[in-house]
Amino acid sequence: MMAFIRPRLRKPLGIALAGTVFAAAWALRGGHAWQLSVAMEVTVLVGAITTYVRAGEDNDEGALAGSRADERQKMLSLRSRALGWNFAMVAAFIGLTVAAAVKAVWWWPFLVILAVTGFAYLLGLSNYGVAEEGTADDADTGPPVRSPAS
Amino acid sequence: MRNRVREQRTQREMSQAELAAALGVSRQTVISIESGRYLPSLPLAFTIARFFGLTVDKMFDPDEEAGT
Repeated sequence: MMAFIRPRLRKPLGIALAGTVFAAAWALRGGHAWQLSVAMEVTVLVGAITTYVRAGEDNDEGALAGSRADERQKMLSLRSRALGWNFAMVAAFIGLTVAAAVKAVWWWPFLVILAVTGFAYLLGLSNYGVAEEGTADDADTGPPVRSPAS
Repeated sequence: MRNRVREQRTQREMSQAELAAALGVSRQTVISIESGRYLPSLPLAFTIARFFGLTVDKMFDPDEEAGT
């Protein structure tokens, strides 16, 4: 489906769609939440338009925003996201530790974040080749065969 | 690792943007490769070497530091 959407439009549309769903969820709460929902939707649309404009710039951020990144830019993005996940894990661990120390009832969201990031890490190891190492071609595969010369 | 990308490019009187378009990468990536800040993947190294009509080991010298 993404192939039918112009690369420059992919991220802005993704932001607009996700943001609209989130704003709609707030609107469904009823009461005065609809005001917050409208503000959210405006912010999301401004963000989507800003991303579209940035996607036209000739720099690394523009290439990533415009879904036309080359291998170095994809690696930059990957490293940045990995750093973000590392920070999230450390923050979640600190939050969980503090929540445990003060006997707070809000400890479980930190545990969920730790569990999800930990599971995603293991999933990554599984998907990207650790399980496919196999045995070395010089590994012991049975009794030694005597050379005909000996 | 030293490379001869800048030397080969200037010999052909190409701009970084023209080389980037020919290799299918961004201008920023060409700049990073030329300055030695980024080591290209093996497929890209082969693409660069072939583009200039050289072998990979002629294009990239692992025994020399970038900028020397």
